[in-house]
Amino acid sequence: MRKSFPADDLARDSRFIRRRIEETVMDPRNGAFRERVEKGEIKAPGRLEPDRPDAPDAARQLMHGIFTGEIQALEGAGRTCWDFEVGDDAPYALKLDMARQCWDEARHTEISMKLNEHMGTEIGEFAEATFLYEAACNPDPVLRLTGVNRALEGLAIDVFNTMRDFGDLSDDPVLEFCEDWMLADEVTHVKMGSDWLRKMTENDPERREQALEFQRIVDKLFSLGGFRGDSEESPIKLARKFREMAGFSEDEIDEISDIADEAMAEATAIGKAATAAAS
Amino acid sequence: MADPSKPRAGFAPWDRRELPGIFGVEETARRVGNYRWIEMRLFEVLGGWVATVPELDIKTMLGRHTYQHAWHSELWTKRLPELREMVPEKLTVAPNEAMERFVKELTEPEAPELTIEKMVGVYRVLIPHKIAAYTYHRNGTSRITDGPTIRSLNFALQDEYEDWIEGEMMLQSLIEGPEEVERAARRQVLLESLLVEAGGIAGPGSIGVYPDGHVAPSAGDGGPSQAQEVGA
Repeated sequence: MRKSFPADDLARDSRFIRRRIEETVMDPRNGAFRERVEKGEIKAPGRLEPDRPDAPDAARQLMHGIFTGEIQALEGAGRTCWDFEVGDDAPYALKLDMARQCWDEARHTEISMKLNEHMGTEIGEFAEATFLYEAACNPDPVLRLTGVNRALEGLAIDVFNTMRDFGDLSDDPVLEFCEDWMLADEVTHVKMGSDWLRKMTENDPERREQALEFQRIVDKLFSLGGFRGDSEESPIKLARKFREMAGFSEDEIDEISDIADEAMAEATAIGKAATAAAS
Repeated sequence: MADPSKPRAGFAPWDRRELPGIFGVEETARRVGNYRWIEMRLFEVLGGWVATVPELDIKTMLGRHTYQHAWHSELWTKRLPELREMVPEKLTVAPNEAMERFVKELTEPEAPELTIEKMVGVYRVLIPHKIAAYTYHRNGTSRITDGPTIRSLNFALQDEYEDWIEGEMMLQSLIEGPEEVERAARRQVLLESLLVEAGGIAGPGSIGVYPDGHVAPSAGDGGPSQAQEVGA
């Protein structure tokens, strides 16, 4: 078996349909939609709440996204167990943490499958983007952990917190219960990433900066063109309290908030350009 | 009221533990080092395979089993310094070159259509051999002097039994006709032959039987000198 496994080769059964994240974010329809929002013709969907007309479908889509994200998080942690030799590449204890994460992500995948069923969603009903796994392909274990455990799992904290709140607001105790359990695991995973980043770059500030830069890039990508952000209007809101529990400083959370704003501005500009080109 | 000053035997009447066991400290450490080596190889490959299998139920099972075998390796990491090996990596080795070849072959399949081959290697060959070696060790070592190893072996064995059953059931659900039966059997013959050549997960004598036909003494037969001989 190869030591590095590309996202294109991720094994799936026939129900899964793959789509690149760029295709979603750069969809010209998004630009047209934003223009109409800016002109006041329609209202931005905003926070995921039960009284939104599209709430059931938006929640089902988000839940399916969580499900495919959990599969990829499981695959990414598994690859870190295999791709690096114990020693110079990666400490033994780091691989043990990744093995533990495999179990956690396997449970999350199972929980997500049950929740999809609970919400009336079939596997493959929504497309899968593999950008989460792609962050887990970095050949440097420090960068990989920073990208996966701080950026990806950080996004998971924001998403689970959003879904937990949605479960509460929509009187769905099953959803709220499950999301709360998954949220607890994600805080653990982000803390793992923060601890390993600190430990492995203790005497190597250059490598630490590289890792943090990689995290910024991944965080920008994971802001999904402003879908995740700090404002009340963001469909997925930054979960400040849980991020602090996981080892993020206030400054770091502010920085992610700024990155999300940048991502939103860029996606809007690109969307407008794409709309202009299409018309 | 019971008299607290009344003399009692050091061992309760139902406690039948006896001295000695068939392994000395050094032999125990050597075996534990081999166990750690194979548990590490196993959790690494299970983790690597997760991305390569398309079957969802098998994907999540592999994720769970990855952690279990990593945890077993951790149990052995902690046991080695207690057996006078302060650098666990020194004894974390394959028992011989044949065992290394076995692991190389075991970890070879990658393609998504090779789930049967991956599963047979682990659940029909390696895990049954691990259960055999761990059981032999647990039953042969001193239940008094080597209590900590027995405790770890019992924890590991509990997982191994459950994994074995789960993996076997998954395999039976994948094997739908003569072609798959043939594939599974072919794979098992190849890997079993390599593991037999290695003598088991701790080399010749993994379960007390040696290629020259001699058999390890039972726990009641041997003192420390025989235990060393067995380990030689």
